[in-house]
Amino acid sequence: MSSVIDGFAVVLEPANLLYCLVGVVIGMLIGVLPGLGPAATIAILLPLTFGLEPVTAVIMLAGIFYGAQYGGTVTSVLLRLPGEASSVVTVFDGHALARQGRAGAALGIAAIGSFVGGTLSIVALTLVAPIVAGFALDFGPPEYTVLALLGIMLVSTISSGGRIRALTAAAVGLLLATVGRDDFTSAERFTFGNLSLADGIDFVPIAMGLFGLGEILYNLEERHRAVQAPTRVTNVWPSRADLRQSSGAIGRGSVIGFVLGILPGGGAVLSSMAAYALEKRRSKHPERFGRGAIEGVAAPETANNAAATSSFIPLLSLGIPANATMAVIFGALLIQGVTPGPQLVTEHPELFWGVVNSMYLGNVLLLIMSIPLLGVFVRILRVRAAVLAPITVLITLVGAYTVNNSVFDIGLVIGFGVLGYLMKKAGFDPGPMVLAFVLGTLLETSLRRSLLLFDDDLTGFLTRPISGTLAVAFLAVILLPLARTLLHRRHPSEPSVPAGGGTESSVPAGGADSSAPVGGADSSVPAGGADSSVPAGGADSSAPVGGADSSVPAGGGADSSVPAAGHAYPFDSAGGEAESSVSAAVRQDGSDSAVGASSGGGFGGRASRQRAAIGDPEAVDPAGTPSGAASDRVTESPRRDNKAEEAE
Amino acid sequence: MKLTLPALGLAGLLVLAGCGGNLGSDGDSGSTAAYPERAVTLLIGQDAGGSTDLIGRALADPASKDLGQPITVQNRPGANGAVAAKELAAAAPDGYTVMVFVGSLAYITPLAVPADQAVDVNDYEVVTGISQDDFVLIAHPQTGFKTVQDIVAAKRPVKFATTGVGTGSQLTQTLLFAQAGVEATAVPFNGGAPALTAVLGGQVDVAAVQLGEAKEQIEAGKAVPLVTFATQRPSYMPDVPTATEAGFNVPVQQSRAIVAPKGTPAEVVDRLRTAFQKGFAEQAYKDFNTKRLLTANEVDGTALLQQWNGSLQTYRDLVAQHKIDLSAK
Repeated sequence: MSSVIDGFAVVLEPANLLYCLVGVVIGMLIGVLPGLGPAATIAILLPLTFGLEPVTAVIMLAGIFYGAQYGGTVTSVLLRLPGEASSVVTVFDGHALARQGRAGAALGIAAIGSFVGGTLSIVALTLVAPIVAGFALDFGPPEYTVLALLGIMLVSTISSGGRIRALTAAAVGLLLATVGRDDFTSAERFTFGNLSLADGIDFVPIAMGLFGLGEILYNLEERHRAVQAPTRVTNVWPSRADLRQSSGAIGRGSVIGFVLGILPGGGAVLSSMAAYALEKRRSKHPERFGRGAIEGVAAPETANNAAATSSFIPLLSLGIPANATMAVIFGALLIQGVTPGPQLVTEHPELFWGVVNSMYLGNVLLLIMSIPLLGVFVRILRVRAAVLAPITVLITLVGAYTVNNSVFDIGLVIGFGVLGYLMKKAGFDPGPMVLAFVLGTLLETSLRRSLLLFDDDLTGFLTRPISGTLAVAFLAVILLPLARTLLHRRHPSEPSVPAGGGTESSVPAGGADSSAPVGGADSSVPAGGADSSVPAGGADSSAPVGGADSSVPAGGGADSSVPAAGHAYPFDSAGGEAESSVSAAVRQDGSDSAVGASSGGGFGGRASRQRAAIGDPEAVDPAGTPSGAASDRVTESPRRDNKAEEAE
Repeated sequence: MKLTLPALGLAGLLVLAGCGGNLGSDGDSGSTAAYPERAVTLLIGQDAGGSTDLIGRALADPASKDLGQPITVQNRPGANGAVAAKELAAAAPDGYTVMVFVGSLAYITPLAVPADQAVDVNDYEVVTGISQDDFVLIAHPQTGFKTVQDIVAAKRPVKFATTGVGTGSQLTQTLLFAQAGVEATAVPFNGGAPALTAVLGGQVDVAAVQLGEAKEQIEAGKAVPLVTFATQRPSYMPDVPTATEAGFNVPVQQSRAIVAPKGTPAEVVDRLRTAFQKGFAEQAYKDFNTKRLLTANEVDGTALLQQWNGSLQTYRDLVAQHKIDLSAK
C-alpha cells in the first residue's frame, strides 16, 4: 500500500504535474481533430520524451491517450464525425441531440461520464490489476470469435432505422472488411491490383465518409428543398433531469468498459457498443434511442473511457500492448530502458504507481478543461452552415489524409461520402455498416485462427470454458424462445405457424459460430445477441415473449403475432410489460418484419406463408394501436422516422 | 472569430502530422553541388510506433545534424512497405526522398505473394544497411518444451503462432519444423504482440518473435526460449543455442536499410551515407540499438545487396527443397 502512496508523491513532483497537463491538453486537441489518432501523435512526439525521466514520459503519453477519448466526443456530437471506432455509437444520439439544440447537454454528460468512467476504472485498476490481468490471456481466438459474433448481433439492435435496412448495411460492412490481402494466404481480395488496398480499407475514411461527408451532402440538399430553421442552441448544460436519467447508464458503462477494456484488441469498440445496446434494452422507451436519448451518449462515452484506462492493465502488468497506442507506449518504455512485463510492478513500483495515479489527476484536469470549452464548442453550431460545411469537409479530408499520409484515402472518403448520401436518401442508416466493418475483421480472423487451432473442429468452441459459456448462453437465449414457441404450437388455438418459421431461421444462427454470421444476424437472432450480452440473459428473454403473446389477442390473429415474436424481445427486457414490448414491436413496421420472412426463406419451407403473413402491414397496426403505447409511430415507415428526426 | 477554432485546429493538425517536409519543389536535380539545400523526406512503410518506425526516427535526428537539413519522417504504411517502395520508385532520384526498406519485403514476401507484387530491392540505390533483428522460438512453460528436440520427442502435432504471412517469423518456424520432421500448423497473427500473447495464454505451443519482444517474458519465466535464429548467440541470451548449433539450417533475420530511388547520383548517395554513418556513431543511437536488442549491420550498398540477394536465393532453395508454400494455409 505504501507504494501506492509513494506513487502520489511521484505525481505531485512539479515536472510530472506539468507533463500530465501537457499530455491531456495535446490529447484533447487531437481527440477533437478527426483523423489523427493518439497512436500516431505519440509516435511523432516520442523523440521529445527521450530526455525525460521514464515516469514523466509515460505520464505525458498516457495523458495523450485518455485525453483523446474526452476530445473524441466533440466532433461525433457536433459534426457527426466519429474520429475513432469507439465513438461511432455516440454519433447516433449525440448528433440527434445537437440537432435539437442540446449539444451542450450531450457534451456535458459525455465529459461527466468520461470522468466517472475513467476514475472508477483507475480505482478498479489500483485494486485488482494483478488479479484481472490474467483475464486478458484467457481470451484467445475462440473467445474473440464469439464476442465478435455477439457484437455483430448488437449492431442491428443499435440502429434506429428499419431492421432489414440495418442488416443490409451491416452485410455490406462485413463485405468491406474482407477487402485487402488475406491475412492467412496473402491472396488478394477485392484490391483490383491496387497496393493501397492491400492492407484493407482504414476505418477512418469509411466513418468520415459515411457519417461526416454523407451528412453534409444530405443537408445541402435538404436546405435547397426547405428553409431549415437555424438550430437554436438552448441549454448548454446537462439539466438535472439529464443527470438523473444518465446516472444508471454511467454506472453500467463504467463496469462494461472496465471489463471489456482489459481485452487486447477490439475491447473499447465492443464496450461502447455493448453499453449502448444495454441501455437501449433496459430503457422503457427504446424508441427514444437514435433520436436524442441522453443515455445513448452517456453510456458509450463512459464505457470507452473506462476501457481506455483498463487497457493499461495488460501493458503494465503483463507486458502485452492491448492496442496500437499501447504498443507505442511499450516502445517508449523500451527506449527509456524499462521493459514492461510481469515484473514491472515489483521492479519499478514508482513508475507503475506514478503512471496509474497520474490518471486521477489527468481526469480531473480534463473535466475542469471541458467545462469552459463546452460553451466554445457548442458555439461552433452557430456558425452558418454555408461556412461550417466547407470547413468540415476540409477538416475531414485533411484528417483522413493524416492517418496514412495517403491521397488514396482522400478518394475513399469522397467515395464513401457519396455512398453515405445515397444511403441516407434511401433511408439506410450508415451506423450498422461502419460497426459491422469494424467487427468484420475481428470475426473473420478470429474464426479462422480458431479453426486452425481446433483442426477445423467446431466443437472446440464449446470445450473451452469462456467461449463455451458465452456460446451456451448465446444458444440458450435463442433456444428458450424457441422452446416456448414449440409449446405454443401444441395450443390448438394459437396459430403458431409463423412463429415456427421464426424459430427455423434462428437455428442456423446457433451454428453461426462457424459459417453464417450474416445470415445468423437475420430475423429473430439479433434478439438473442442483445439478450446474451447482458448478464440478465435468458430469464429476460422469456418475458418479452410473454409480451408478444399479449399482443396477439390485440391483433386478433395469426398474422400480428409474427412481428411481435420476431421483434419484441430485443428491446424490452426491462419489465416485460405488455406496453413496452408492444411499442417496440410497433416501432418496427411492416418492412422490418419482412426480415423474418426473407431469412426464413433461406432456411425453411414456410417462408412463403410467413411472408404472406408478415408482409401485410395492416396486420401490424391492430396489434399496436389498441395497446396505446407509441401508437403514433404505428404507421410510420423507418423512412418517415428518419425524416421526423431531421425535422426535430 | 468564429473561424478561429477550426482554423487553429487545422494548423495544429498540420504541425502535429509533421507534414512540413514536402513543401519544396521536387523539380530539377541539376546541381548536386549544393546538396542538400532543403529537407529530406524519409519514408517508412510501416505504422508509426512499430520497430521500423522507431528505428527510422532514432536515426533521422542524428543524421540530420550532419546533413545540415532536417530529415522529415513520413509513414506510408501498407503491404509490408510495398506501398512506400512504390512511391519511392516514382519519386525524383535527387536524394530528397529516401526510405527505410525492410529486408523481409526483399527476401521473404516474394516467396508468399504473386510475382507481379513482389518488390525487388535491386531496383533501388542502397545507401546503407542499418541493423538486424534476431528471432527467438519461445514455448509456453506448460508444454514442457525446453529444446527443439523436446518437440520432436513429443511426437505430436504442434500449433505455432506467426507474426503474419510472409514474415521472418513464419519462414523460420516453417523451415525448422520441416527440417525437424514435426507436424506443425501455422496460426498467423497480426504482429509480434498478439503472437506473444497467444503463447503466454497457451493458445498455441510455440511462436517465433523478435528478441526484444520476448526478453522480459523469458526473464519472468512466462516463456521458455528454445532456440534463436541468430548467426551467433546473442550476448543477452548466452545460454540459448542458435538454430545452427541445434542442427538446423534456418539463417533468417529481419534486416533494414536506407534506400533511394534508382538513378540517384552517386555523390548524393555518398553524402547521405556519410550523414547516416555519423548518425550511427552517436552514443544516443548506439544506446537505442542496445535497448532494442538490435545488431548493427551498417554495411554499404554493395555488401547489403549481396546479403539480401543471397538470402532470397537461400530461402527460395530451402523452401523448394522442403516443398513449403508460404502462401498456403
